[in-house]
Amino acid sequence: MLKFQFILFVFGVFIIFSSCTKNDDQDNEVKSGKLVFNFEHFANGEELSYDQMIYTNAAGNQYEVSEIQWFISDITLHGKDGSKLLLDPEKFAHYIDTNIPETFTWSISDKIPAGEYQSISMTFGIRGEKNKPYMFTDPPESNMLWPMNLGGDQGGYHYMKLNGFWKNKDNQREPFNFHLGVGQERDADNNVIGFVQNWFETELPNSAFSIEKNETKSITIRMNVDKWWDQPNIYNHDEHGGKIMQNQNAMRMGVENGKNVFSLGKMTSIVK
Amino acid sequence: MKKFISFGIALPVAMILVIWSCGTDSTEEAEVPQVYSFNPTPYVIPDVAYFPKNLNIPSDNPMTIEGVELGRYLFYDGRLSGNTSKDMLMSCATCHVQKNGFEAGMDNPRFINGKTFGLPTEEYPEGEPTPNYMLPLVNSVYNQNGFGWNGFINESNEYRGNEEFNVPATKEFHYKNIESMVWMSITASHEMNSTIEKSVAAIDAIPMYKAKFKAAFGTEDVNYDRISKSIAQFVRSIVSYNSKFHKYLRQEADLTAQEKKGHDLFFSEDADCFHCHGGSVLMTTNEYFNNAKDKSFDPKEKNRFSVTGDPMDIGAFRAPSLINIELTAPYMHDGRFKTLDEIIDFYSEGLVYSDYVHPLMKNVRQKGVQLNDDDKAALKAFLLTLTDNELIQSPQYACPPELVKWNGQASVN
Repeated sequence: MLKFQFILFVFGVFIIFSSCTKNDDQDNEVKSGKLVFNFEHFANGEELSYDQMIYTNAAGNQYEVSEIQWFISDITLHGKDGSKLLLDPEKFAHYIDTNIPETFTWSISDKIPAGEYQSISMTFGIRGEKNKPYMFTDPPESNMLWPMNLGGDQGGYHYMKLNGFWKNKDNQREPFNFHLGVGQERDADNNVIGFVQNWFETELPNSAFSIEKNETKSITIRMNVDKWWDQPNIYNHDEHGGKIMQNQNAMRMGVENGKNVFSLGKMTSIVK
Repeated sequence: MKKFISFGIALPVAMILVIWSCGTDSTEEAEVPQVYSFNPTPYVIPDVAYFPKNLNIPSDNPMTIEGVELGRYLFYDGRLSGNTSKDMLMSCATCHVQKNGFEAGMDNPRFINGKTFGLPTEEYPEGEPTPNYMLPLVNSVYNQNGFGWNGFINESNEYRGNEEFNVPATKEFHYKNIESMVWMSITASHEMNSTIEKSVAAIDAIPMYKAKFKAAFGTEDVNYDRISKSIAQFVRSIVSYNSKFHKYLRQEADLTAQEKKGHDLFFSEDADCFHCHGGSVLMTTNEYFNNAKDKSFDPKEKNRFSVTGDPMDIGAFRAPSLINIELTAPYMHDGRFKTLDEIIDFYSEGLVYSDYVHPLMKNVRQKGVQLNDDDKAALKAFLLTLTDNELIQSPQYACPPELVKWNGQASVN
């Protein structure tokens, strides 16, 4: 009889514990939300208009934008307690192409713990240790290849291709490729003797937000194109010409300006 | 007793069920050989380092070894044109010649300087010229961005058939993928100048195909759908990944100093070939560019603008793969350049500005990238490393011996 009671007790304990475990899972399930990032491109505070020579940069260059292709990576949420949550670590990088509207959205696969977050940071481009040549085998990402002879084994892909035209000093419409990626250190004979990682982390201004359980929050990240050539360096297309992949000085100016390029657009709750 | 009665009833019932069940099985077994005897072997595209993983294989045409083999026979069979007289044969291989990287080639005895034309018509006794020069067939299985110089053939294309060539607007005569090119080639007046019915009947009349269609599709029936699918399977099987350059990437071969110099020019903004031709190991982005060849454009020209309607696509054509470029002259959609030297000279100092030029042609105001003679020689040396000799000699892609007299190539007739 005692044996029967013991078996009954063990069975009861098992039921209780397995029941508790299930409740914990359910709690975790309901205490998280989802994040969707959208991307938009602006110039002078308004949505970018393509293929029209209607813009003037800080250096006085008239310019038009044809297309922008770029990588954002390592989006990180910063908690008020100093904690960091790296989003979608397996994918880690997202490709955005103004010719492909489907790329304007990055749905983060992680569940985001409900709560308040102090800020959002992102990496423009891809960190060197993750930027492996030929890691993207398929287009469109593979078309962003940054050749090894220009970037070494930690510079596999362009951070950005921003293609357009400017009115040059002879008042001719001339193409520019504002392409950013790993730069080269060169000796006096112009031989490559090292590489310069140009990717940068930036914190999006005013990016505090909260997310509730079962909420899907849509957050828009905006690239303000005019800012690439504005602060702190006034970038003049006449000075640097149409190509800068092998011009670290020009890329450095762009990268320094890049920290002012990104801002937060709309933040909305999609499902609650 | 109750149990016994129950058992006494249950046992016969169970036996009846078992027997009935067995009977059912035996009936099914009798049908099994017919239902399941068709079991083709899947054809696997090799998984090669750095090559794309997404393959353009439609769900309604999975590749099989038997389908690819049937496709190879049909690809080389000049009777696909619906004709049997020697001077009226035309197959896919009449123009797509293996030794020339599956293009006509400058040395083609039938198509002088690689300019192709169709079978004779009343209007064109010598054959109607095909509108554009050829594009390479190799590595089509990796292309997800449309086919043809302007990308008109693509998955979102809803057009059907062709009134001019008496092809009905039914679903099998689509403009979506490689399969589409088969009916287009059969019926075009500047290619085989046949009809679907005539060509299908010609293949149906050849006894050896019965077994091949059965192996590929389960029955001996010959129809257009099967012809197009099998040829498309064969075309998708033509993959090129063994050029010296590809072996260099895989660290299986070394480049000479001059080839390496050319490689570094190609993959830099000094020669700046790679933005259009080198994003992947396919040596093309499969994108469309106005590459600064012309100042003005014929509105009737079927360039990319005719597909997208975007003014920025005026004068734009596909950037073709440079794999086997040594063998695939003449170059550009209109064949205007006959040699690699002419091509290099063009990009070095021959660009012309138009309002539609693609911004990647950033040296257009300087007329090109301005290479010196040493640079040009090095760039040419690198381009020659893109030849895949294994592909052009592989029996896997060659004309089946029993079809040599039927394949319509002037060189083997």
